[in-house]
Amino acid sequence: MTPRMGDSGGGPMVDRREMLTWGIVAPVLASGPYGALAAVPEGLDALVVDSRLADAGLSALAARRTYTIDGDVTALWYNTLDTLWRKPGFVLGGITGTDALFVLERLAFDCGRRAVSRTELRPADRFGVAAASWVIAPVHPSVVKA
Amino acid sequence: MAVLPPDMNAATFSQMLEELRGAVGADWLWSSDEDLGPYRDSFSPVWDTAEERHASAAIAPADVPQVQAIVRIAGKYKVPLFPISTGKNYGYGGPSPNVNGSVVLDLKRLNQVLEVDDKRHFALVEPGVSYFDLYRHIQERGLKVMVDCPDPGWGSPIGNSLERGIGYTMPQFRDHFGASCGMEVVLPNGELMRTGMGALPGSRTWQEYRYGFGPDPAGLFAQGNFGIVTKMGFRLMPLPEYYRTGLITVPRRRDFVKLVEHVNYLSDSSMCGEAVYGSPLQRLMGDPQFLALATKLGGPSDADMDAAAERAGLPSWQVDLQFFGPEATTSANWDYAKARILSDIPGAKAIDGDHFPLPATEEQLLNKTQPYQTGIRRYGALGVPSLGIWRIVGDNGHVGFFPILPRSGEAVFEMQRVLGDALKEFPLRPFFNATTAPLYWHTYAFQMVFAPSVKHDDPAHNAIVHQAMKKVVAVAAEHGWGDYRAAPIYQDHVADTYSFNHHALRRFHEQLKDAVDPDGIIAPGRGGVWPKRFRK
Ligand SMILES: Cc1cc2nc3c(=O)[nH]c(=O)nc-3n(C[C@H](O)[C@H](O)[C@H](O)COP(=O)(O)OP(=O)(O)OC[C@H]3O[C@@H](n4cnc5c(N)ncnc54)[C@H](O)[C@@H]3O)c2cc1C
Repeated sequence: MTPRMGDSGGGPMVDRREMLTWGIVAPVLASGPYGALAAVPEGLDALVVDSRLADAGLSALAARRTYTIDGDVTALWYNTLDTLWRKPGFVLGGITGTDALFVLERLAFDCGRRAVSRTELRPADRFGVAAASWVIAPVHPSVVKA
Repeated sequence: MAVLPPDMNAATFSQMLEELRGAVGADWLWSSDEDLGPYRDSFSPVWDTAEERHASAAIAPADVPQVQAIVRIAGKYKVPLFPISTGKNYGYGGPSPNVNGSVVLDLKRLNQVLEVDDKRHFALVEPGVSYFDLYRHIQERGLKVMVDCPDPGWGSPIGNSLERGIGYTMPQFRDHFGASCGMEVVLPNGELMRTGMGALPGSRTWQEYRYGFGPDPAGLFAQGNFGIVTKMGFRLMPLPEYYRTGLITVPRRRDFVKLVEHVNYLSDSSMCGEAVYGSPLQRLMGDPQFLALATKLGGPSDADMDAAAERAGLPSWQVDLQFFGPEATTSANWDYAKARILSDIPGAKAIDGDHFPLPATEEQLLNKTQPYQTGIRRYGALGVPSLGIWRIVGDNGHVGFFPILPRSGEAVFEMQRVLGDALKEFPLRPFFNATTAPLYWHTYAFQMVFAPSVKHDDPAHNAIVHQAMKKVVAVAAEHGWGDYRAAPIYQDHVADTYSFNHHALRRFHEQLKDAVDPDGIIAPGRGGVWPKRFRK
């Protein structure tokens, strides 16, 4: 048996049809500090929420088509993104610590993706970790959807 | 475009980029500041200063012939290439080059696991294969081998081993370059070479006998700049049937000397995996009185440290031991370790740890089943790649100095004292103090760690870190301790310390470099080796 690397909270491999549609989160995210997420015209395919930030509104969203992490992106990467990011498309939004964002951005870069927007939600704590909302989208021709 | 390659004007640079585009396709060459951002070293203490090293472009070939074409174009234009495999060398320079204006040769698209054999226990991979990729390949096929993973798991067997990186399982596998077996290299003239048995056409032992016949140049490519590695073999541990842990504590400070000797014996006899040393007294470091004692100039006396330990009811040292193999041998090895150490060190205690068949369950990987607090991180210990180590990264990252020291308690005490005193002038946390334990990663040597954080928004702090790094390299060398690996900005400093017989080693490396790569096409300056063109 392959040991799974923790549960990313999003259940097993994501089926694209099950992914987040913009309408579900828009009411919560459209205003305030999450505005940048709402500005993505084509919508997000999924949202990553960092449980360390413990935002009540977001925790409610975390029930289904979001991925919850506790700062560690191992399971999200191994079980989900590593496969999805090999294919064209897939816009990922997130509300996470900047440490997790750094790791995701670096992984995204290898897959032709980039953080196309980021908004600081909370300044850095004493470990230098701030909170940010962000959108990672495909930018390289090999993964931009035709 | 902020920087140009050395000795090149903008027009020639554009012409060269055009030729490079012709070799790989326009989509796989980047030269805008935005595209090159991820090739900066975000952990650099010289971030955003004049000392930071920048690439002029980055290129990602799809296969070995494209790598060869790039090398030939680089040769024509005399432009330095800086090859990276997965480019995650954070703490040691990230993906950024030694020379400003180099073209980063990003090998991420060469990402095939070419072979994993779980009967003869080896893998053959390309540079873009990460530890996650190799692990997935093994898991999906149910192969009975264990990969020795460094942290974080996004690195690559080739990139990591070419830095002489380390992992956490059995001694002969933790030294990743030491566990390598056979490589394919594109040389500075664009030619393809194979080392060891790979040089013998038709051989089927490339990953089983690393030497072949005659001199083996494989070592030149680790921390070196003599070629671009396009394939590399690695020995793998057969998946052990069983895993077991145990903890030994010793009461007095000096007991550490004997403890280390015993563990050296166990390790060199292949009886245990990584031994994780620690001092339970570390938890007293929050107490200002104890902090003052543990960081006392000239070091505290054994008697004072023993008195502090006794007052706190804590042992002075502990070692987490790990055993791999059939259940019966893990049990016998642990019993032997206990008997050997407890009979020799008065007051030593042993606590049975966890034990279970492999592969581990998720609970076991998360280390929820250990009956005591442990320094072992199970993912690493059991060869499962992870990014969880990121939780130890503070601020914008860190830079690392990991000096090599003898595997003896006395050497540990000496390094604690000497480097602790040397770094006192810097307002950084006391990495070296009387509770600092050695790291047992490399097969036959200890290391200790100095890894101060960097802050992008605090150049004054970074300047302190930069100064401290240079000082600690120099002071360590005065005592015979050398760094095992360094970021490009420190490679000359470190190479300078390996100076036996008027730098005979460096002069030999330079002669070789001048002979095979006089124009410095491959990573000039890496490992402190500069070709004539770049020597002042
Ligand atoms: C929190 C943290 C924990 C860490 N823990 C560990 C650890 O446990 N063990 C450890 O070893 N390291 C550790 N590191 C350091 C580093 O992250 C790893 O060593 C990492 O594997 C190196 O990056 P990479 O594998 O992507 O190699 P790369 O960055 O691809 O390569 C490293 C260097 O090797 C050379 N090189 C790479 N590929 C080639 C090639 N094909 N041909 C010629 N030269 C080449 C280049 O000079 C390159 O800069 C840690 C870092 C952090 C931040």
